[in-house]
Amino acid sequence: MLSIRNLHVAIEDKTILRGLNLDVGSGEVHAIMGPNGSGKSTLSHVLAGREGYQVTAGEVLFEGQDLLALEPEQRAHQGIFLGMQYPVELPGVNNMMFMRESLNAIHRARGEAELDAVEFMQRVREKARLVELDEQLLKRNVNAGFSGGEKKRNEILQMAMLEPRLAILDETDSGLDIDALRIIAGGVNELRSPERSIILITHYQRLLDYIQPDAVHVLVDGRIVRSGDKQLALELEEKGYGWIEQEVAA
Amino acid sequence: MITAGQQRSWVQQLMTHADAGLPGKSPGWLSHAREAARQVVAELPVLDRKQEAWRYTSIEALLKQRFRPASDAADMPALDISDCLLPEFDSYRLVFANGRFDPRLSSIEDLPDGVSLGSLCAVLTTDPELLATWFGQTANHTEHVFTALNTALVNDGVFVHVGNQVELDRPIEVIYFSQTDEDPLLMQPRNLVVLDAGAKATLVERFIGFGPSPYFHNNLTEISIGKGASLNHYRVQDESRSAYHLSSLYLSQQTKSSYQGTTLAFGGAWARTDYNTSFKQEGAACELNGLYTVGDQQLADFHVNVKHSVPGCVSREQFKGVLYGKGRAVFDGRILVDKQAQHSDAQLSNDNLMLTRNAEVDTKPQLEIYADDVKCSHGTTVGQLDPQQVFYLRSRGIDETAARKMLCLGFAAEVLDSIEVPALRDAATRTLSDTLNATIEARG
Repeated sequence: MLSIRNLHVAIEDKTILRGLNLDVGSGEVHAIMGPNGSGKSTLSHVLAGREGYQVTAGEVLFEGQDLLALEPEQRAHQGIFLGMQYPVELPGVNNMMFMRESLNAIHRARGEAELDAVEFMQRVREKARLVELDEQLLKRNVNAGFSGGEKKRNEILQMAMLEPRLAILDETDSGLDIDALRIIAGGVNELRSPERSIILITHYQRLLDYIQPDAVHVLVDGRIVRSGDKQLALELEEKGYGWIEQEVAA
Repeated sequence: MITAGQQRSWVQQLMTHADAGLPGKSPGWLSHAREAARQVVAELPVLDRKQEAWRYTSIEALLKQRFRPASDAADMPALDISDCLLPEFDSYRLVFANGRFDPRLSSIEDLPDGVSLGSLCAVLTTDPELLATWFGQTANHTEHVFTALNTALVNDGVFVHVGNQVELDRPIEVIYFSQTDEDPLLMQPRNLVVLDAGAKATLVERFIGFGPSPYFHNNLTEISIGKGASLNHYRVQDESRSAYHLSSLYLSQQTKSSYQGTTLAFGGAWARTDYNTSFKQEGAACELNGLYTVGDQQLADFHVNVKHSVPGCVSREQFKGVLYGKGRAVFDGRILVDKQAQHSDAQLSNDNLMLTRNAEVDTKPQLEIYADDVKCSHGTTVGQLDPQQVFYLRSRGIDETAARKMLCLGFAAEVLDSIEVPALRDAATRTLSDTLNATIEARG
């Protein structure tokens, strides 16, 4: 589904990713862990098409297609979804209206029929229950005055609505209490399917107690330096990142 | 640079038409007011940059125009207004065509008891005493050259009187149509709105202009709100792109009265609105929301002057602007809290969204407080669309043009949502949306 080859990315003149390789197959869940500043968020932003990053070498193929050539909205049309680490507030933009515009824009781009108001309402209510999001928040402006946990639930709600082929969840677990983490993880697990791949970017092993990954990768200094299974995450939890950084440096 | 001579000769040229004033008999008090204004108009100070209230508002281009007061039926265009009426909006409607009341297009029948509504000219004939009681009570007739000009040449306008405890069952709608195909015309509606104690009304004013020639719409409105009365007042300025527009509003509020105003400025080449609010007694509330959009060769200008001279009144002013192209805006908001006006609660804000680098705003929120137990705040922002917000929407499949538009509409939403007349709110949202479509797509 996703194939990243020798990806080099810089912000202004600072190189962040230095030859990153990653393959994610259909239906797989991959966790990417790593210390602060290792390039985790840069990777998620580059995949979603955020401005300000220069790809200096390498390629990213999504279902065989050159992903980096596409505009952010085109990537969304192709089925890429980024759950943001810091979802922004959109003053004056109604949450429900926003989700409907988003869903319909994607449907239009794919030549599919738009949902009518009734179908949309049924769907959004059903999905809001999945992440236990208070329906009142649907009537508010996007993320405006939402708590940290509500913002993250709103992200997973959008993921559930848009049914992406590849979801990248950037530190979705950060700032969540244990109950919110359980709810979010439950929502994500509910969305796992053989046709949908998920990349979980996280600092902590804790999330992986709830969402079992097929693979765990450690990102250090812009490269994946180690890959393994869930065992690797437990090892990191126990020993920290220092030993891997030392091994890489050696 | 404007000289005193230039301003004087511009005024005098207009005053040669002074006789083309009110049709029929003009009562003594009105002749007197007109004459007094005529005496001073040419001698009033030059409105140049040395006058703080006119520092950012050049009248140079305005004074270059040779206007002629629109005075008689010949200046009234034959209009088909069907395209301009709001769908599903039931109102008492007064239409002014080039400044004069047009009964054929108006509809003010079946008014409830206790309500008097009509053109100034009509009320001069039917109820001159009522008019005499209120005319000139709140306005400063001769604050500056343009208010004096309005007074000196007063010839028509709207008169609204809602009696004791009367609640109007539908909004009053005033449409000012201007159409100038040849001579640049001067229109000067003089309006008087009076709500007696406990009265309730909604007033919608819409300024619509067509035609290639410039015109100057110089209106003056006096509003008096009695004890416990409440007025919802909506103004939508959508003048032609060649138009000069000046609205001078004077507001006077008695105890526990409430004024809720929303003013929208979309059109005009040079458009200025001055609000002067004064609380006469304790416990009154004044809320004023404004939205303006300006592009190439447009100036939108708001001056808001709120005087807290008695204790315990509340004022809220919130103005938002969307600027694009080489659009220019001015916001000059001033709240004055006198020494005796304890427990005043006043907030003033002005936010500007700059869609292009060449747009310009001069914004000046001011608080002047002489009392020591008050709750007051003021603030202003000038900014661009946040790239993070644009990216957020794009990452959800919404293209850049639509994303930018959605954020602009979101920025304006607070002001538009303060309009409690759905038909008007929808129409205003459409106007804003059309403006944004044109500008955001043109930007590419």
